[in-house]
Amino acid sequence: MNAIHPLNRRTFLRGLGSAVSLPLLDAMTPLRGMASTTNQNPVRMAFLFVPNGMHMPDWTPSREGRYFDLPKILQTMSPVKQDLTILSGLTHDKARGNGDGPGDHARAASVFLTGAQPLKSEGAEIRAGISVDQEAAKAIGRQTRFASFELGTEKGRQSGKCDSGYACSYSNNISWRDAATPMAKETNPRLLFERLFGNNNAAEKTESALRRKRFQNSILDFILEDAKRLIRKVGNKDRAKLDEYLSAVREIELRLERTEKNGRQRRANDLAEWDKPEGIPESYEEHIRLMGDMMILAFQTDASRIATFMLANEGSNKSYRFIGVHEGHHSLSHHQNDPAKQRKISDINQFHARQFSYILQRLKSIPEGNGSLLDNCMILYGAGISDGNRHNNENLPIILAGKAGGALHPGRHLRYHFETPMANLYLSMLDQLGVRKDRFGDSTGRLPGLFS
Amino acid sequence: MGTISKQKGSEDFSQSCKVDEFGQYGSVSLILFWRKSRGNAESPKPGVADNAMRFFREQRGILWILSMVSAVAFLSASAQDAKPISFANLARPFIQQYCADCHGNEKQKADLNLGAFEGSPALYKERELWESVRHMLAEREMPPEKKAQPSEEERLRMVQFINEELAKFDCAELSRPGRVTLRRLNRAEYNNTIRDLTGVDFQPAADFPLDEVGYGFDNIGDVLSLSPILMEKYLAAAERIVSQAVLSKLPGCPPLLLESRARPFVKAPAPKQSSKKSPRAREADLESARRFLTAFVPRAYRRPASPEEIKRLLDLAANALEQNADLEESVGIAVQAVLASPSFLYRWELDPEVEDGNSQNSEAVRSLNPYEFASRLSYFLWSSMPDDDLFELAAAGTLLEPAVVETQVRRMLADPKAKALAVNFAGQWLQFRQIETIAPDPELFPAFDEELRQAMRRESELFFEAVMREDRSILEFLDADFTFVNRRLADHYQIAGEFGAEFQRVRLDDQNVRGGILTQAGTLALTSNPTRTSPVIRGKWVLEQILGTPPPPPPPEVEELEESRESAASASLRERLEIHRSQAECAVCHVKMDPIGFAFENFDAVGAWRELDGPFPIDASGELPDGRRFNGPKELIAILKTEETFPRTVVEKMLTFALGRGLEYYDKCATDEILAAAKKTDFRFSDLVIAIVISDPFQKVSLHHESQ
Repeated sequence: MNAIHPLNRRTFLRGLGSAVSLPLLDAMTPLRGMASTTNQNPVRMAFLFVPNGMHMPDWTPSREGRYFDLPKILQTMSPVKQDLTILSGLTHDKARGNGDGPGDHARAASVFLTGAQPLKSEGAEIRAGISVDQEAAKAIGRQTRFASFELGTEKGRQSGKCDSGYACSYSNNISWRDAATPMAKETNPRLLFERLFGNNNAAEKTESALRRKRFQNSILDFILEDAKRLIRKVGNKDRAKLDEYLSAVREIELRLERTEKNGRQRRANDLAEWDKPEGIPESYEEHIRLMGDMMILAFQTDASRIATFMLANEGSNKSYRFIGVHEGHHSLSHHQNDPAKQRKISDINQFHARQFSYILQRLKSIPEGNGSLLDNCMILYGAGISDGNRHNNENLPIILAGKAGGALHPGRHLRYHFETPMANLYLSMLDQLGVRKDRFGDSTGRLPGLFS
Repeated sequence: MGTISKQKGSEDFSQSCKVDEFGQYGSVSLILFWRKSRGNAESPKPGVADNAMRFFREQRGILWILSMVSAVAFLSASAQDAKPISFANLARPFIQQYCADCHGNEKQKADLNLGAFEGSPALYKERELWESVRHMLAEREMPPEKKAQPSEEERLRMVQFINEELAKFDCAELSRPGRVTLRRLNRAEYNNTIRDLTGVDFQPAADFPLDEVGYGFDNIGDVLSLSPILMEKYLAAAERIVSQAVLSKLPGCPPLLLESRARPFVKAPAPKQSSKKSPRAREADLESARRFLTAFVPRAYRRPASPEEIKRLLDLAANALEQNADLEESVGIAVQAVLASPSFLYRWELDPEVEDGNSQNSEAVRSLNPYEFASRLSYFLWSSMPDDDLFELAAAGTLLEPAVVETQVRRMLADPKAKALAVNFAGQWLQFRQIETIAPDPELFPAFDEELRQAMRRESELFFEAVMREDRSILEFLDADFTFVNRRLADHYQIAGEFGAEFQRVRLDDQNVRGGILTQAGTLALTSNPTRTSPVIRGKWVLEQILGTPPPPPPPEVEELEESRESAASASLRERLEIHRSQAECAVCHVKMDPIGFAFENFDAVGAWRELDGPFPIDASGELPDGRRFNGPKELIAILKTEETFPRTVVEKMLTFALGRGLEYYDKCATDEILAAAKKTDFRFSDLVIAIVISDPFQKVSLHHESQ
């Protein structure tokens, strides 16, 4: 803190400065170690989101099957072409108005991973649906220290409105813990690093660490009890708020337990190749890559197996001057079929795809088992709108990268029947993590021909 | 024609409306005649202009529609057509033509029969049904695409009619203060509360995730959620605060250590105690902890603590003592628990336990208890916890007395902590928080830099604070004869004189083009595109933030205006925007938005004065839909200042912020009363705030009921 540092009196509480990150120092590999004894590396799942749709003519390969081409936006992906499964024809029907009128951007984000029609509200009641990453986190999140990570680069508006009639929660979040609770994103790589590995300060003695852990537990017990007492006395809406509180505290409690179980430490300074990030870099490209690095690090060390990453918030009007695009992204996306604007949109799309390519190449460079970390991943990349001008939600631009531990056979371009729900894909992805559901969002079944 | 029921709160507005003033509105009179008072009245007598005018002012309502319909009236109707508009001559033909095929006496899709409404039904009695009809029309979801469509004008007229009718309920019959969902402290509130609780300004929330925004503000109970990452940060912050604050020096708390064992506050690391303390020393420690917690907990929870609450915390501390923690550490554990507990992190307005049966009454209302009220006051004006004075008055039970409330509000507004109102309320209402994120194109606006950005924000903050501190009329937000500049901003504004890095107050004479929030560089910049000004965004901003009449989004599939730099060179922006007016669908709204924006065209996208836009001379003249003409910002502002919708908008925004919830239709009653009270002293700032804090929604709460 830049604030007053008055009197650092107690050595045993000094130091790591974070109630929760300390035990996390324990962190790094144990689970993976455990996993390898069963000869099975865990499958990781991530969702990368880009806003304002895509310039589809520069996205969709003209050929299907194994011998697909890479149009302009995807050219930057050629080093990882054989790790891609390009999915055409998927639809998010619930991102359409369906009686709710304007607000396509708010819906595009909040429906992207939920497949559920969000309640149109400026704040009286926020309701979307549980997102696919959280559905997975609920089921398998306990196996890792962090059930999931939510990353982003843009914090969001601090005043005013985001999209006609929808509270900002809807366009700033793709991950929803339950229908009413969006998962706040971390946008600062330094804070993310500290969550993962603690502050890089001198470590505590084991004895005081243990003691501190006991105290932490007693504090958690106390506040849980407090919340339980209060919850009996409140009405429905307040109860929902208190439920959020309870489940957040339980999540932390479980995390402490998992840390304890998973054995002793390995410290942040063992991460020789990783310098602790300073904060948010000036360059947007650097920012995306650094956040991507942190995500990879979390996967590599099995701190978590599930992540979401909004490369920008939906409706973002960021200017991409560094690639020669001065206008705001959102303004441009309403291109009126003006070729000059479409070219600029395509440039922005290409810029994002290049960052995705970077992340995939990094994942591929990390050996794991007999292959690479990427082989044990399914990384979805895409947008909730296809053409930013028309705001249509069919035929969405979607890529799934990685091999999902062998079940996914990339290097293909698949085209699905018109109006096939995105949620069908999610249902199939959940299967790969051993999360069996009959339905998810507006799913109508599983996606055929994708996983074996 | 029946008589008009006079509403408390509307009288003051009618006084100022004269027939000749009314005449200025030209054909707007057309629609005034079909406005009716909220009560049991029917249409006013034609020609009773001041009554009609009163309705015009009083009933602007929360929605944008009237202004749009004014525009429609202006565009398409002449005064000769004027006749009272009723269900019979407006709604029924509309329903017959566009709805009845599917929702009439013959066929009732979705079980809806609009043909069943005869005569002039009291629409508000079937609020839900008509709200959904209005919604379907306003959102252009109905009639379905394949059926005949009303024109944009017909559609808006019908929507407006429903709005008018729904606003007719009687405030005497429906007194509902509403209920605010449990509010988590947001980042600003958390920071300030910790500051006032510990006496140290840690700013621990700097790393917390941003709070989500609803209704334009980030303190809305329903929107503020709590995710695990935030809980994690709360726990970490609690630990850091406890490790850095000196517990013995917390304001309002007794020293932790007994006199006999007092040690200097700065101490070397405590030696590890290897053996247990004597029972007597242990007793003394516990007593010390008990005294500390008894003083600390009520401040943290902002209400008296029950003996049981203290005991549970004391057990926590005792447990730590048991494990050889020293007294400070042990109490520190309890303090951490307090700071992470729901009683601290949320603002509670817990209903007293009621006997079964009573709670079923959905109209049941209770007054806030003095502690709840103290918190509402302090979080409204300071974004922080109550101070000792408020706690004492709450304990004495006198805080809710009107004279006490008034004294307290004035005292609080004079307190330095009231800066929070400028930063948090005005920063969001006038959006100068957004100045942090504007990104003017560096090639086109090389003068823009971080220093200017900060100066823009600072000017708006200081300006708001001055109106508040000097207890000026809120109308001065629109045109004031002063502002604050430092050297950087004085250069930007071309104000001559000696200025340094510090801000100083400057007088603006009549010749100066600046004055008021609308001509401040920050406002002008945040309503511009990165590469050029946008009269549409500026006009829309004024309609939303100043007049409270946000226009609806454009109809689907409309062509958006060419914005590229290439096209900018080919024609002046004004000429390009004319297209908005040549197409009826666009004109309905743009006839109002665009002229307002053009008034500010002499200010470029970073708010600097200019005479030319590229090669084109600036024309800042315009005409409002009602025919009033102006040339340049000053003349437009003079018009805006006379609009009753401005103070009403301020009241609505401030009430939203004060309550932490969106306003509902029934809040119109309170809004009217607040407005009428504030009007008496020409909207002096403190009187407006006082009117808000003595209003029912601020002082009372509808009991929660589980039967839904």
